[in-house]
Order: sequence, then C-alpha cells, then structure tokens
Amino acid sequence: MNVLLFASLTLRELVRRRLVAAVVLLTLVIVAFTAWGLHRLATAQVDGAPLGDAAVHTASAGIVILLAFLFSFVLALGAALVGAPAMAESVANGEILAVLARPVRRAELVLGRWLGTVVALGLYVTATGGVELGVVRVTTGYAPPHPLTALAYLAGVAAVVTTCAVALAARLPALAAGIVAALLFGLAWIGGIVESIGIALGNRGMADAGTVIALIFPSDALWRGALYALQPAVFTAVAANASASQTVNPFTVTSPPPPALLAWACGWIIVVLVAAVALFRTRDL
Amino acid sequence: MGFLGPNGAGKSTAVKMLVGLVRPTAGEAEILGRPLGDLRVRARIGYLPELFRYPDWLAAREVLAFHARLLRLEHAQPAIDAALEEVGLRERARDRVGTYSKGMQQRLGLAVALLGAPEIVFFDEPTSALDPVGRSDVRALIERLRARGTTVFLNSHLLGEVERVCDRVCIVDRGRVVAEGAVGALTGEARGARVRLDDGWHEYDVAADEIPELVARLVREGARVHAVEPKQTTLEERFIALVRHE
Repeated sequence: MNVLLFASLTLRELVRRRLVAAVVLLTLVIVAFTAWGLHRLATAQVDGAPLGDAAVHTASAGIVILLAFLFSFVLALGAALVGAPAMAESVANGEILAVLARPVRRAELVLGRWLGTVVALGLYVTATGGVELGVVRVTTGYAPPHPLTALAYLAGVAAVVTTCAVALAARLPALAAGIVAALLFGLAWIGGIVESIGIALGNRGMADAGTVIALIFPSDALWRGALYALQPAVFTAVAANASASQTVNPFTVTSPPPPALLAWACGWIIVVLVAAVALFRTRDL
Repeated sequence: MGFLGPNGAGKSTAVKMLVGLVRPTAGEAEILGRPLGDLRVRARIGYLPELFRYPDWLAAREVLAFHARLLRLEHAQPAIDAALEEVGLRERARDRVGTYSKGMQQRLGLAVALLGAPEIVFFDEPTSALDPVGRSDVRALIERLRARGTTVFLNSHLLGEVERVCDRVCIVDRGRVVAEGAVGALTGEARGARVRLDDGWHEYDVAADEIPELVARLVREGARVHAVEPKQTTLEERFIALVRHE
C-alpha cells in the first residue's frame, strides 16, 4: 500500500514542479515542427509533379525511425535524470528522515519511487509517441507496421534506464547516478553496433563483446525491438539481403530481439530493483 | 528526558538509531518494549530530525495528510487539525512549505512529530530555528506533552532549556554516557554562599549546612544581612565539568 503512496507522491511532484508542463510545451513545439516538415514532404513536387505515395511513405518511414532514434535518447536521458533524483534527492536534503521514522519499509520507498517514475515515463512515451505517429499518419498517410509494439519497447528502454538510475541513486548522489545511468545507455548502444559489426564481419570476439554488454544493460536490445516494429517489411528485406558492410547500420535490423533476451530484460529489471532495495536497506541515513 | 553532549558526541546518531534510521554496529536496545526497527513501535513514536526538511511543493496540511496515511490514522482530519493548532500553524496550513520561514518549517516538523498522539517524541534540537517567542512556545508545548503523559526525548544544546523542562538528563561524550539522572541530582547545592551586607555582596566559602551559622555569626558581629544566596551548581557548570578534556 505504501508503494502506491510513494508512487503517487512521485507523480504529484513531477506535476507540481511544472516538469510535466515544460515537457508538454516542448513536445507540442516538436510535434508542430514535425507536422510542418512532414506536410512539406507530402506536398513536395519534383519536376512539377507531386511525389507518389510510395515515395512519400518510404521517406516517412525513414523519418519515423530517425525520430524514434532521437526520442529513445531523449527518453533515456529523461529516465536517468528523473529516476535518480526521485530516489536520491529526498535523502540528500533530509526530507526522508521524518518519513522513514514512520512504520515504512525502505523497500516500499524504493519500489514506490521506481513505480512512480516508470508510470510517468510510460505515460510520456504513450502520449508523445502516439501524437507523433498520429501526426505522421494525418500528414503523410503513412503508418508504421506495429506502432503499439514499438511504443512498448521504447517504454521498456525507459524502464531499464530508470531502474538503473534508481538503483545507483540508492547509494550515490542524484547527479552521479543519473549521469552513470545515461552513460550506460550510451555504452549499450555502442555495444549493439559492435555486435552488429562482429556479426557482419564474422568476428566472434566483437559479437560476443556486444552480447555481453546487451546482457549487462539490455536497453539496446529493446531499442532494436522498437526499430523492428517501426520498420516496413521492405526495409527488413533490404537489410537481410545487404552486404556485410551495409549490414552495419544502426537504423535497420533484420529480426526482432529473441524472446530469451526480452525475458532477460524483464529479469534484469527485477534483479536490479532487488539490488536497489538491498543497497538502500543497509544505508545509514 | 534531556539528552546532552558536546558536538560530535553521538547524540543525533543515537536518536537516529532509536527511530530506525541508523543501524547499531553493536549492542541491543529496545524502545517501548520492542527491539529497534520494529515497525509497530514506529507507529507509536514521533520524530523531529535535526535536519528538518519537508517537500516545498506541498502545503503543510498535505505533508501532514501524507504522514497520516503512513500512520494509517483512522481519523486523520481531526488529528491534522489538532497538530496544526498545537504548533500555531493552522492559519498557514494551506500555504506551500516553500513559502515558510525556517522557524515555520520547524513548527511543521513539530506538528509532523506530534501527529497520531505518539507515546514518545524525539525532538532533535527543536528550537534551533526559532526566535525567543518560538522557543517559549516549544517549552510550553513540551510541558503540555509531559502533562499528558507523553515522554519527550529532548536533544538540545540549550542547557537552560533542558534544565527548565526536563525531569531527567543524560549526558553523553564521545559516544558514551558520562552522567545520567534526575535534573536535581545533577545540579543542586554547591559549596559557598553570597551574602549582601550594607556595603554590597560578599562571598563566603562555607558548606550548604553551615550557612545558618554564617548568618548568625555575621549578625552577632553587628552586620546587617539583606540577602543570602546559597551557591548552586547549574546544569551548564556540571556539563562543562563532565565534558571538558584538558
């Protein structure tokens, strides 16, 4: 019960501190800019003739993937910079002292803070992603093959990064925890590219190194799932038939992440949360 | 119960152990008959930390409502009203904590500690941010709590404050108890007396039970005695004697 109490406190704080208002405002600006650009694409003319639907849809598919890629970075940064303070700030400024002197388990605080942050990020992904994909559909008529699956994967990326940030913030100051979580996300992305290069070149060592990084921090595997869900079948076919050098492309994948990796990502979140609780339970305040 | 000691003696750490914020590295302790950290006991204690901070984006009433939910209070609103009334914050209860002065935040901390009528309250430097009027209010509050049968564990640097409101005192130094007992037993009469004669105050080195004889002798010798003040050991003198390391 206290978990939900701390989760709702976390959400209320995000709303009251005007973070939500600022994000909504900036998102509307980005959406308006995207809508303007896509409208220009849909009404563009080449040699006096409008672009055909196929050309507009292909270009739109590429733009959607690029937007999703940028969004995943913003999301990861947001997850790190919201999750870490949610956990560490009240410890650093002393707000938590009077709270934890109540009949409250420390695990309830950790899980509540985590849940509140994950719910906030999930709502952000759903709202922003949904509006952006809606704008693409209205302006160009294009819809990616599995938009809801893609949004779920992106929410998974946010959950992985924020889980890491919360766990680190159970012991570290908010800024350090947030930066480390964001850097780990970047490392995982580089690890994904190293793995792709290793597979393309038949270099077992590089492929294994990438796999190890994906196991340590599974955000890139989830990003690839989002990418696969947004990718039209023609992109997948091209990627599958590409030469080795062309395969090393961070914006195309040939298959979704295997179920075992998804299960690992879920298990990873649980294990890291348990570690966060253990770290915080043994901390003197 | 007054809890005294020089800076770094371990007062706040001891209080934090009692309320479950710091784990003891050795030894055992009980509070209200249960081991430290017992969740059921924590529903029966109140705590004002030395570093008192409450979310600045919440109103005082919301802070108390949050704590009432943590305590699972059945009649939260009357309890919140009573706590706000007790510390004189009722009129500003709907204002955000961020708009409060430090003294008002400390009053809010006292209200949080008093919520749910705890059996023991731990006040860690409860008047550090208060003006003289606020300090007087807190003394009156502690006396009201004492009259109701609530145990007040007062950790303070202000020895006069402790001497005035506490029945018992514990003095710690470098993590160890160096004196403990009733305030009267730690203070009390000392050797010496000040006597005011026609030409002013004079000091005499006599034991407390020798003062009547001293006065009789002075009168016999023709002196006019206007006032006699037996010397008292104050808590401050006792405290300094115990913790000074020279």
